[in-house]
Amino acid sequence: MNYSNRYAINLTNLRLKFPGEDSLIFKDLSFSVQPGEKVLMLGPSGCGKSTLLQVLSGIVPNSIELPMKADEINLPDSWGFVFQDPDTQFCMSYVDEELAFVLENLNIPRSDMAPLIEEALKRVDLHLENLHTPILELSQGMKQRLALASVLLLEPVVLFLDEPSALLDPEGTKQIWSSIKQATADKTVIIVEHKIDLIADWVDRVVLFNDHGMILADDSPSTIFKHYQEELKRYGIWYPSVWDEYKESESFKSMMHEREQVSSFEKILLNDFHGFRGTAPKIFAKKAVAKTGDWIAITGENGSGKSTLLLTLMQLLRTEGIYKVNGERVIQKKRKKQLPKGLSLVFQNPELQFVTNSIAEELTVSLHKMSKPQAVNYAADLMQLFNLPNSGTRHPYQLSTGQKRRLSVATALTPQTDILLLDEPTFGQDARNTFAILEKLEQLRVQGITILMVTHDMEIVKNFATSVWTVADGVLYTNNEMVGGVFECLHGSHLDEKHGYSK
Amino acid sequence: MLAWFTPRRETWLFKVNPALKFIIFFAFLLITLFNQNLSFAVWQAVLYGILFYGFSGYSMKKLALLSIPLAISFFSSALTIVLFGKGESVLWQWGLIKISEESIQHALLLGSKSLSFGFVGFTFLLTIQPILFFYAMMQQFRLPSKYAYSFIASFRLIPAVTEELQIRRNALKVRNIQFSRGLKGMYERLQMYTVPLFAESIRRAQRIAVAMEAKQYQMGAARTYYYPTRYSLMDGVFLTVMAIGLGVTLMLAFWR
Amino acid sequence: MKRLKFTDLLITIMIGVVFGILMKFWDDLYTVVKPILPVARQLIYGMWFMVGPFAYLLIRNPGTALIASIAGASLSAFAGHGIEVLIYGFVQGLAAELLFAAFRYKRFSMAVAGLAGVASCLGSFTLDLFYGYAALETWALIVKYGLRAISAFIFTGIFAVLIVRALEATGVTSLIRPVDKKEYTMLDR
Ligand SMILES: Nc1ncnc2c1ncn2[C@@H]1O[C@H](COP(=O)(O)OP(=O)(O)OP(=O)(O)O)[C@@H](O)[C@H]1O
Ligand SMILES: Nc1ncnc2c1ncn2[C@@H]1O[C@H](COP(=O)(O)OP(=O)(O)OP(=O)(O)O)[C@@H](O)[C@H]1O
Ligand SMILES: [Mg+2]
Ligand SMILES: [Mg+2]
Repeated sequence: MNYSNRYAINLTNLRLKFPGEDSLIFKDLSFSVQPGEKVLMLGPSGCGKSTLLQVLSGIVPNSIELPMKADEINLPDSWGFVFQDPDTQFCMSYVDEELAFVLENLNIPRSDMAPLIEEALKRVDLHLENLHTPILELSQGMKQRLALASVLLLEPVVLFLDEPSALLDPEGTKQIWSSIKQATADKTVIIVEHKIDLIADWVDRVVLFNDHGMILADDSPSTIFKHYQEELKRYGIWYPSVWDEYKESESFKSMMHEREQVSSFEKILLNDFHGFRGTAPKIFAKKAVAKTGDWIAITGENGSGKSTLLLTLMQLLRTEGIYKVNGERVIQKKRKKQLPKGLSLVFQNPELQFVTNSIAEELTVSLHKMSKPQAVNYAADLMQLFNLPNSGTRHPYQLSTGQKRRLSVATALTPQTDILLLDEPTFGQDARNTFAILEKLEQLRVQGITILMVTHDMEIVKNFATSVWTVADGVLYTNNEMVGGVFECLHGSHLDEKHGYSK
Repeated sequence: MLAWFTPRRETWLFKVNPALKFIIFFAFLLITLFNQNLSFAVWQAVLYGILFYGFSGYSMKKLALLSIPLAISFFSSALTIVLFGKGESVLWQWGLIKISEESIQHALLLGSKSLSFGFVGFTFLLTIQPILFFYAMMQQFRLPSKYAYSFIASFRLIPAVTEELQIRRNALKVRNIQFSRGLKGMYERLQMYTVPLFAESIRRAQRIAVAMEAKQYQMGAARTYYYPTRYSLMDGVFLTVMAIGLGVTLMLAFWR
Repeated sequence: MKRLKFTDLLITIMIGVVFGILMKFWDDLYTVVKPILPVARQLIYGMWFMVGPFAYLLIRNPGTALIASIAGASLSAFAGHGIEVLIYGFVQGLAAELLFAAFRYKRFSMAVAGLAGVASCLGSFTLDLFYGYAALETWALIVKYGLRAISAFIFTGIFAVLIVRALEATGVTSLIRPVDKKEYTMLDR
């Protein structure tokens, strides 16, 4: 390979497919990056962005073999990669060991390690009292930061970032981008991200992909967002003013026209309610009520206890106190746990949702009451609506992250459901699919379904939720004053005084 | 669970290089395995018993608790041999069951051996830190780093694997999956649990391996160590103790 | 035959370790069954021979049966089973490995997998001879190890193969096995 200095990365006529699939993911794709450039890749979910990052770093085919070929490939020798899934990128048990692992690989003397580790953690704003903290005890956001810290220790020439802020709270997203910007001023950075508000101005180049992994446009951000509006809209890609335009659209206006309460029937009631992980109490609710047709957004910082709340409502964790569903008290039995009827949960990690071997089966497996052809039709409609690849025989794991998320949401929409618990149903989605999911949920809400949805997206909170619950440090607050109050509550420390709750 | 495994005091055994400790113990157990002499086997069990009860640094209560499985394994392994073992000088017979002098001897030999294995196993486990063991194996015995880190990463995932089983139970419930009755249902259940367990472990292992290589881990490349391990005076003490122990047990067994 | 990549190695060891965990649960069952039902306990003994052949059937690389077997045994040893299981793990894995090698690493059928289990069983019998477990009356010896060999065949030949097939259906095996040459020619269409 002759490495030409003009490019940090250069690839011509890449062809790539997945084994067993008929069509190619990339057909004659050419792409190059100059040293020091910051490149943002934008494209609809499932177009192949993550796969391309893996090719550009050499992970495919060096570590993962996929059928591929290219006329010319020049890849960086020195690179770092922040993967999308924060749980599967660490090999050691403790924070210090994990960072030391990187230094060991670089053959750095033991005596130099400690100061380097401390400095790396400072650079990503991860403050720990004790460096020897188990990684298991970190929240998702802290794990993302640790991943970034270990990559920065490598001092790579090229940095690949695959949706590094997908699961972070708004504050965390800001922090992580500011530390990335600081740390990588002189480096080549290639980013895949859906939430682009904070970086749209920072990058030098935006590369726009269509559904079929072809490059539509490749230009400066200002040009792209000015002259390619049409394409951005057509392929449903996020761009800075997308929400404003959506709110002006006919479909949104008609949906939001006269959004009165559906009914005042109390679907869920919590009173002095505790939820536990093992023996440790992790969530408390003094009083909370969800009524028919409510769309409740649950917000709060990473690690505050939102997922725990949903798991306790689903009765997958031990609970104490009063919990009523449809007016009936839910009593937790020791053995033979029965889940409350009518509830449906979408886990935060979509992979936990899947129980079968194919997309189509996944959508029909819970439809006990329907006849076969009915169920198949039902599944086909959902696949269409949620924009899932219609080779229905593929295994759910063989999907892109966004597709997995949509499939897992679709599986929860069974006809017997009347209370939907959703844990970040729109993370990792492009604009089109986000709106498709939200519109479907609104349609269900109007029909009388109650929705409890964890989200970090304030636009969704503002525009779709009928009320907001906040979780802070394991305590649920249900302040029903709408919208205006949301932001203060999220970051305000006055919560404790206001609700007179002290731990 | 982890708190349980903090010793009352750190004895000299804790300061022995963990890799050296492993190799020596392993070699001694090979002797135990292939030995056929009853009295030597008994004396060996005594030697390891002294190490276990005297120098593992744990309170007697915990040691007693750990002795229960050892006692069970002693009796359960000996029982079959006593009842069905081969032998000429029969003491008692009832149908297929036949107790003979030889069978009792064989049973005692077997029982002593399983006691020895149990004592050494626990003594080793109670006095090392697994992570240091792997680091020492790399540094003192040139275990290729690819094995050491594969083991470290896999062991790290054990809690995730057990949690996985729990989550799977939940998912099947959340999705309202119903099983058939009887044997078919048993197979369906088994399949529903083990297959995703392996699938998920494989995928996770693969992603972690990729992430490790992304952190520029290279098989066989020169590397430094975050936990340097070396030999110390205690290793000399350990070798001496073990050599003397071997000598004394041999003498007690064969000196007439 | 491709070289064992780091990914393959970590997956192999991971499979061994997961199997070790399953064996730990199995062991509890075995301890309960052991004193009451001497025949049944031999029939569930095959579980201990499964890890090596299972890993080989899945990954299809030379060396995997041995490495996975040692990894499974290491977990057992760390779970407090005594260090001797390492010796057993090594010998059983080696026996299975040699059997697959005898078929030049080209056969993955039920029969070959089952034979690998029986080979492992034979390996563990040899160790039992030294250990002292085999000091039995001839009839008892034949019953014990006969049943055990049958169990080995059932677990490695039938169960392991069935689980591997179910895993193939999930598509996860495409992560570990070499890509078919045909796939590359399909790129040129
Ligand atoms: N193992 C696989 N087998 C077959 N097809 C696959 C496999 N993995 C991914 N795909 C398909 O390849 C395409 C590209 O996937 P990729 O993960 O690169 O998408 P992406 O652009 O990163 O999407 P997202 O924004 O949702 O993360 C998707 O349509 C996906 O369905
Ligand atoms: N399996 C677990 N065992 C013990 N504690 C846990 C476990 N999972 C999470 N926790 C702890 O429970 C608390 C709440 O976690 P939870 O997952 O509910 O947070 P979250 O609000 O959903 O955060 P995020 O926005 O990052 O998803 C955290 O302090 C976390 O460390
Ligand atoms: Mg992706
Ligand atoms: Mg959560």
